Amino acid sequence: MIRAAILHNVRCISRIALRPQSLASRTVTPCFSAPSAIYTPSKLPQSARWYSAPAGLSKPEVEGRIMDLLKGFDKVTDQAKVSGTSHFSNDLGLDSLDTVEVVMAIEEEFSIEIPDKEADAIHSIDKAVEYILSQPDAH
Amino acid sequence: MSMAALKGDTAFQARSLFRSLLRQSSQFAAYNFREYARRRARDAFREHRAEQEEGRVKELLQKGVKELQVMKRQTVVSQFFQLDRLVVEGGKSGKQTGERNDIIRQTTE
Repeated sequence: MIRAAILHNVRCISRIALRPQSLASRTVTPCFSAPSAIYTPSKLPQSARWYSAPAGLSKPEVEGRIMDLLKGFDKVTDQAKVSGTSHFSNDLGLDSLDTVEVVMAIEEEFSIEIPDKEADAIHSIDKAVEYILSQPDAH
Repeated sequence: MSMAALKGDTAFQARSLFRSLLRQSSQFAAYNFREYARRRARDAFREHRAEQEEGRVKELLQKGVKELQVMKRQTVVSQFFQLDRLVVEGGKSGKQTGERNDIIRQTTE
């Protein structure tokens, strides 16, 4: 009798351990209301581990990093013109090949890969910032 | 209209090819090959940036695609023969420390 009760409890616990996050299901699990429950379940350790959470880049940070990158780019002659809204070709005097290189450098900086179509649409710093912010895996 | 569309299309193709070449060039394990491939791609595209003739542009794009294929094979081969990273690369195995005249090469893990 006692052995059966223990086995029953162990089975219940293992079932809970498989899904420790589901609080609701734990409260309604009937097995703990069994009369011969030997021990009441202690609080299961609830570890909040968000390994896959996005890095949470803020807009000023992204903007600053992109602006620093452009200031270090050798084709940009007038560093004073680098601002949050500069257009690569109109304001900074870069041609389309330079733009490709800048976008590649941005990819490297944030360790992401921008597909061709989207990379082609990035022509200014604010567009780039917008794109990076929309990417959850940029960091 | 169709002419402009065609032109936009080849421009897009050229940018796309340039991007692929740059991306592939970064896959070389050896520093010298990596930098050469990057430099070569940049220089070649700059050299022909003002090309107008359609046939010639097509021909050059074809050539670029061929070079990209060669580079794909060569980067794979290059991954098999990896050497230590150079001091100029910094990073894993070598790093410069010290003042100008006492350069110490040290290994950092």
